[in-house]
Amino acid sequence: MKLIPDKDILLFRSCLVSVEYPGVESSTKFVFDKLGIDYAISEKQTCCTGLGHYSDVFNQIDTSAIGARNFKIAKDIGRPNLVMMCATCYAINKKSVKLLNKKDDLRNHINQLFEENGLEHLKYEKDDLLPSENIFHVVDILYGKISEIPKHIKYDLSEYKIASHHGCHYCKVHYEDTIAGFRDPNIIDELIGACGCKTIGWYDHKRATCGTGFRQRYSNPDLSFTATADKMNALDDEEVEIVVHLCPNCHIQFDRYQPLISKREGREFEAIHLNIAQFIAIAMGGDFDKVIGVKAHTTPIDSVIKELKEVEQ
Amino acid sequence: MTSKQNIDDSPIDFAEKIIADVKNSKEEGVLKCVQCGMCTSTCPAARHSDYNPRDIIERVLEGDISILEDDLIWNCFYCYTCHSVCPVGNSVCEVNQILKQIAISNEIGYDKLYEYMGFADSYFTAAIGAIPEIFFEDIKNDVPGWWEFRNNLADIRDELELDPPLMPPKEVIDEVSKILTITGFKDKIEKIRASEEAKQ
Repeated sequence: MKLIPDKDILLFRSCLVSVEYPGVESSTKFVFDKLGIDYAISEKQTCCTGLGHYSDVFNQIDTSAIGARNFKIAKDIGRPNLVMMCATCYAINKKSVKLLNKKDDLRNHINQLFEENGLEHLKYEKDDLLPSENIFHVVDILYGKISEIPKHIKYDLSEYKIASHHGCHYCKVHYEDTIAGFRDPNIIDELIGACGCKTIGWYDHKRATCGTGFRQRYSNPDLSFTATADKMNALDDEEVEIVVHLCPNCHIQFDRYQPLISKREGREFEAIHLNIAQFIAIAMGGDFDKVIGVKAHTTPIDSVIKELKEVEQ
Repeated sequence: MTSKQNIDDSPIDFAEKIIADVKNSKEEGVLKCVQCGMCTSTCPAARHSDYNPRDIIERVLEGDISILEDDLIWNCFYCYTCHSVCPVGNSVCEVNQILKQIAISNEIGYDKLYEYMGFADSYFTAAIGAIPEIFFEDIKNDVPGWWEFRNNLADIRDELELDPPLMPPKEVIDEVSKILTITGFKDKIEKIRASEEAKQ
């Protein structure tokens, strides 16, 4: 397996995590602290442009120029390992690093713009960062410590019926770097396994999109929600109680729109939706209000997890 | 005989233009397409609409530039499922994004971008890519409790002891605004906005 860092990490802030599910950030920090991961956050880092990029508003030059600035900030503070909480940030940043290293014309163009406009300090040199060695998702870092996770588990969640949903922009964009499978994705299932639980494994539509589709959700809602319904029907067929994912886009689509899709389908979907960092943080004893951030959820977490059972020692 | 360009014609201008695009990461993948249809059989947009990724590549290889004005190309979810299963290493998802950027550079599809101008605005005011406010009313109607949650966001973040705050410092916002001005982004946004608002 590729080398996964546990230090010199810039935990890359996500717009959607910040304003929709801030508990994903606090849960990630809680779990990273338990596992002894060395990370920091920078107030200088900005949004990856992902939502605007995939709505076709930002072109590749805009996005890679913003990326070059964020990469320089990471290097300057001695934290060249960018670790993303959002699958879109992960895909966007990895692609920018790949293109900036490989396409001399793009790199030279952006550097020239920086130079001519008093932004020399942001210039990106070829191979400043490497796509496989420096760009990660939180799940990769957790996977690097998978043998440590069981030592910190306080609560037993094994009685719930659990399924995973692996965000497309983690699994399918840079699939050569995806850990534990991209055609039959399993990294979340394996991390849940380290918490002493077993997921349902494969289910119909397991590798399908959550249905967000960026502009589809807002401009083409019927198309978006119909794709989400494929997934929700498949999960309900398996009587899943907890769906665990790794991207705030998917989180919004499942959690926020579950009541609406229930109405559309005439079927009461009742699963709760957790990011993998929140799931592990719950199992490790994180407080529901002070760590997990349950108040941000539309589908109440206590509609399924009513009480916690301590693991037998 | 067809008036369209055939694969053995040389050069295959339209496909070559896509291959040369800065966004293309699949080298000559588009030329390797064997029309197997794996992309279409796994595509969520093809499952639920008339969007057809296999057909997109066929039209590109035929040099059919009318595809730039075809509304269906805007149905792609950007889920990269086609990209991850293509047996010859092509990516319709990426080709689709390139087609849209070519369309936009030819002033096609401005109406599709207009609703998303909020993504640009939030970058100049806060250096973040917030969901455009134009969609808030829909979200309020579709998601019970969302607006109340958003109004309590600061308290929830406080309880989670999240730091630093949402907004980056002014010098960061200024630097990012400058970058998006020198790349030509700001001019493009102003042009799209002016063009769409002139129609109203």
